[in-house]
Amino acid sequence: MDNSALVLTLSSILLASTPLIIAVCGEILTERSGIVNLSLDGTMLMAAMTGFVIAFESNNVWIGFLAAALVGSFFAFIVAFGSIRLRQSQFAIGFVLTLLGDDLSAFLGQNYTRIPGPVVKHYAIPILKDIPIIGPIFFDQDPLVYFAFILVGVTSFWLFRTQPGLRLRSAGERPEAGFARGVNINLQRYLYTVIGGALVGIAGASYSLNIKIGWAEGSTRGFGWIALAIVIFGGWSPVRGMLGALLFGATKALATYLQRTYPEVSVVAFNAIPWVLMILVLLLVGSDFTERMILIAPKSIQRPLQRILRIAPPAALGSSFIED
Amino acid sequence: MQSFFSEHPRVWRIFDILLPFLATLAALGVGAVMLMIFDANPIVAYGAMLDGAFGSTNALADTLVKATPLLLVALGICIAFRGGVINIGGEGQLILGALASTVVGLLNPDMPGWQLIPLALLAGFIAGGFWGAIPGLLKAYFNVSEILSTIMMNAIAVQGMNYLLREPLIDPVQLEAASRIPQTARLSAAFDLPRLVPTRLHLGTGLAIIAAILVFIFLWRTVVGYRIRAVGLSPDASRYAGVSVPKHIVLSMLLSGALCGLAGAIQIYGLHHRMFTDGSATGFTGSAGFNGIVVALFGQLHPLGAIPASFLFGALLVGANKLQRVMQVPSSFIVALNGLVVVFVVSADYWRRRLARRREAEMVGEMTAQTEAEVEVVS
Repeated sequence: MDNSALVLTLSSILLASTPLIIAVCGEILTERSGIVNLSLDGTMLMAAMTGFVIAFESNNVWIGFLAAALVGSFFAFIVAFGSIRLRQSQFAIGFVLTLLGDDLSAFLGQNYTRIPGPVVKHYAIPILKDIPIIGPIFFDQDPLVYFAFILVGVTSFWLFRTQPGLRLRSAGERPEAGFARGVNINLQRYLYTVIGGALVGIAGASYSLNIKIGWAEGSTRGFGWIALAIVIFGGWSPVRGMLGALLFGATKALATYLQRTYPEVSVVAFNAIPWVLMILVLLLVGSDFTERMILIAPKSIQRPLQRILRIAPPAALGSSFIED
Repeated sequence: MQSFFSEHPRVWRIFDILLPFLATLAALGVGAVMLMIFDANPIVAYGAMLDGAFGSTNALADTLVKATPLLLVALGICIAFRGGVINIGGEGQLILGALASTVVGLLNPDMPGWQLIPLALLAGFIAGGFWGAIPGLLKAYFNVSEILSTIMMNAIAVQGMNYLLREPLIDPVQLEAASRIPQTARLSAAFDLPRLVPTRLHLGTGLAIIAAILVFIFLWRTVVGYRIRAVGLSPDASRYAGVSVPKHIVLSMLLSGALCGLAGAIQIYGLHHRMFTDGSATGFTGSAGFNGIVVALFGQLHPLGAIPASFLFGALLVGANKLQRVMQVPSSFIVALNGLVVVFVVSADYWRRRLARRREAEMVGEMTAQTEAEVEVVS
């Protein structure tokens, strides 16, 4: 691979990881508030379908994205309402919605499969795009890529550096303490589940309008689950979630590359690689392996290393909060 | 109202049991409105549906055949959910069970059927258990979320199936043909599970019902089953009582996967007699691994409740096929109808629980009023 091919590969990895980054940011907001939206896979399919159909009919991609965000927030609202108001299992509702989204998108989108439609236009940022190597990778991209990176920054800042972010995290970590301090826990959960769902919707539409252009039954199937895994891998932190998404994009690109280089090995082996890798990653993150590795490091950097590498879910994740 | 609750407790218990069925009827009512939107007469449509599910011996047999894998998967889900683990890997476990049992059948074509069938079903049971135990181990000892790992295991199973059926296990006839349909050769007819009546109904349905009774006995009448439920209800209390939580998590996932694997093996030996794939999971499983979860929830996570629940869902699936053929509505309508049933059943369950709470509260109130009256009399 010469230099320009490498740049091309890197920029395509970046583009391919964009929807995952957006979805991961959305789900992190939701889970940090204490709710697991397990319906990601179905939501993304529904959003990809709706986004494409609306954009096709209105001939405007942005209206498509808006519609997709609405669909995403609607699905998320069902999860929030079901778990907060109806006190049903979040996992059961999310799972049923996954199945429903998969089937419903196939049903509603059946007249729009495999037809060309509007596409997000490429937009290179002037001046910045002329920086050698970095320019073509980061600044000669589609608008969604810029949106994803800004989103990571904003989410991270919001969560860890602002008052509303503190209230949001209190809902996920210590709802009782937050409640005692006057935080309306369930309102927080409704709010961030719906916002997170809207982002997941945008992620779904960015597949059908930008990356796997067009709609076909089950076109984004699997990506929702991968996003859920990346949230865990990223330790519920937007920046690390982004790195996880990029890592996943890179392994996919590597698999495609290896497949071209070794055509005699069955395609199946390469298709299975990302999934096996995901399990290994979850294993690595879940076990105390990282903790032990930190203990090998020099004493002086153990503390900061622990702060960077430690992964723990929000303490009240998945539990319901009842005001007394 | 008060007196009605306290005087007729039995009426209310019957009502509780009937509620899921009433919810199903309500969902079908909403479905009727949807049918009218499609310009179809709902009475004719549901007539076709009933006819398709129960109208003849053949229809009834098809319903039972459809219900069989659903029941077995639902039993597996009961064990896992009671043990506090969420097994979404039914699809993968089903595929593994089917693959293992097919391989056993292909390798021993000359064995007598009465020896091979139990061996093959056992192979399916073990293979499914193996595929279920992996996420169990990951959850118990490495703290990996079983919801995610089972989904990943499903994807890996599908890839493995596609590879095996396209290359090593492919039917030699297909290898010659240009089309190369990814399927194995038909298993020897000596290995077919016995048919019960001259329909498609096979012995597997009986096996599934026996399995339901065994799972009930296991969960509610044995020490190990009790421990699994204890771990599911409160891991902390179980640990305090000296029960090994990780071991029982692995065990419940293993048994859960094994029952799904058995479902796969029974699908092969009772119905398809060969393994095939369309590239996705649902081609072979018909989403039984997922629908089984819904059936288990419908049966309120009780092994015996899963029997009528699976029958109802089998009827819904078979009847819906007929409905679609007769009325020419889009096939996705059927899917939407299933979704409606699920939503209605889940919300009815919520309503039932709220009613039960209010009932209790009123009874307590009545008792306090009585005591107060007695106190007054005494003083």
